[in-house]
Amino acid sequence: MSVDGRIAEVERLRRRRPRDRFARLSVWALVLLTLLAWSSEGLWSTDYFSPRRQQNLQRFLGELRPHPLQGQPFDVSVATAWAGEILSERGWEAARITLAMSVAAIVLASLAGLALTLTSARTHATSEPYLPGPRPPTRGQRWVWRAVVGASRLVLILIRSIPEYVWAFILLAVLGPNAWPVVLALALHNAGIVGKLTAEVVENLEPGPLRALRGVGAGRLQIAATGLFPLILPRFLLFFFYRWETCVREATVLGMLGITSLGFWIVDSRARNHYDEMFFFVLMGAGLVLIGDLVSAVAREVVRRAA
Amino acid sequence: MAFSSRGLVLLTLGAAGLWAAFELRLDPRDLVPSDGGMVMARELFSRAWSPALAYEAADVPAGTRPLLLKALEAARLTVVFAAAAISLSLVCGGILGFFASTAWWVGDQTGGAKVGWSRHGVRPVVYGVARLIIALMRSVHELLWAVLLLAAFGLSQLSAVIAIAIPYSGTFAKVFSEMLDEAPRDSAVALRSAGASSSQIFLFGLLPRALPDMSAYAFYRFECALRSSAILGFFGYPTLGYYIAASFENLYYGEVWTYLYTLVLLVVVADWWSGALRRRLVLA
Repeated sequence: MSVDGRIAEVERLRRRRPRDRFARLSVWALVLLTLLAWSSEGLWSTDYFSPRRQQNLQRFLGELRPHPLQGQPFDVSVATAWAGEILSERGWEAARITLAMSVAAIVLASLAGLALTLTSARTHATSEPYLPGPRPPTRGQRWVWRAVVGASRLVLILIRSIPEYVWAFILLAVLGPNAWPVVLALALHNAGIVGKLTAEVVENLEPGPLRALRGVGAGRLQIAATGLFPLILPRFLLFFFYRWETCVREATVLGMLGITSLGFWIVDSRARNHYDEMFFFVLMGAGLVLIGDLVSAVAREVVRRAA
Repeated sequence: MAFSSRGLVLLTLGAAGLWAAFELRLDPRDLVPSDGGMVMARELFSRAWSPALAYEAADVPAGTRPLLLKALEAARLTVVFAAAAISLSLVCGGILGFFASTAWWVGDQTGGAKVGWSRHGVRPVVYGVARLIIALMRSVHELLWAVLLLAAFGLSQLSAVIAIAIPYSGTFAKVFSEMLDEAPRDSAVALRSAGASSSQIFLFGLLPRALPDMSAYAFYRFECALRSSAILGFFGYPTLGYYIAASFENLYYGEVWTYLYTLVLLVVVADWWSGALRRRLVLA
């Protein structure tokens, strides 16, 4: 083939490349949205380089230094003594509470998510799960199951589209200051996510084993307990650890509403203008998140290998 | 998984849950609200079916914009913050993600023979530094970045965008680097055998293979950014969260639902959008 012929061939192939109109429109819409967003004048109303702000920034950065060391040369022993005092007074306890909140929340979320999975997976919540029954389902039966799936999907969307912070804010007013509002807020939002993801896994399962169970007369709950849960467990554990990571992050922050996790001490020290302590607690939160990510990554790798 | 290991895993997770419950002194009896809490809950949830369409306050100053317009304006700012933050994080996260992937320096990009570590020069260092920066950006929540930036610069809208963009850039970088490393290498192999240079292989062989996954993920993060941006309202930015908190504290529960449903609508639309895109780009 001549060079021109080859170029023409490449050009022909390029024109025939698969294109998706919806995807292209979406990208253009996002570009347009981005341009509109950046042209919003509110974003540009602050002069970060005004002398007053510069001064403020200088002061702030100076105050991040542990206060026994402010205006002093750096001394490791003084710094460790200062950090040790914060840790033993509040730090360790706050970190433990933050961790406990994330664990309690993800356990509750996964239980609730699993329950909602059973009612929102179209292959499972149907009048004839996995195998046609002896009699065709009546129109009423079909309608009832469709309503069950629709309702539980609506619940999943509602609980996950309301952010944890808003849930916690409302629950705190209803339940008062104990750990429940934070745990429940995290659990609700994450149950919505875990439930959605697991329902997708259930719908894409190879139906063979489940059909066999149905064939010997197992009911929906029996199928779930003996076939469904064991089959989805590896994927489910991946979601569990993946969402637990975010729970650690969020549990830190939700303390800002008044429960003594790390976030509480962050806003508390900010309110008292102790920026050195605030920064220390932010760093502690970051450390906790890093450890959480590491544990989760190792756990997910183990699950992936075993599956 | 073998049965025993499965049982062990579930047992461990259950034990962890019990430990957490004891640590937090979670008492099921505390789940029953006090009388005051009960009254509040009843008033709040009874308005769930009838969100306010006009202000509930008796004396609205003349010239105040109608409630629905205010909700729309709050929604606009929520979207502005989210879109600005996502675009910023796509740029920063894209660059960081490139350096944090192994595709550009380990072996010959086609997944073939690996070269010894000593032959890589500074590249492993760049890779390590990129990974470290990503971990640091991600490990601090956007609300904590917001608190830090508020303390450093005072209330400014650009700070809100940057606060969201820092952890989101880190997340984009992490996920993009994994997608680049896991992308199919077929076109890279073909380009290599045609004599393409490294940068050509990356741009025309690897990147296009990872692009559908990457764009689907970007749209999913846009949905998350909408929630983050709404929550920044609790720190004084006039996004939806600000009005949710304000109406709640003034006991205007109907208005709470108006703003809440506006947020839910935004998130559901974004969720549908990213889901539809994912089905077309990734699963097709």
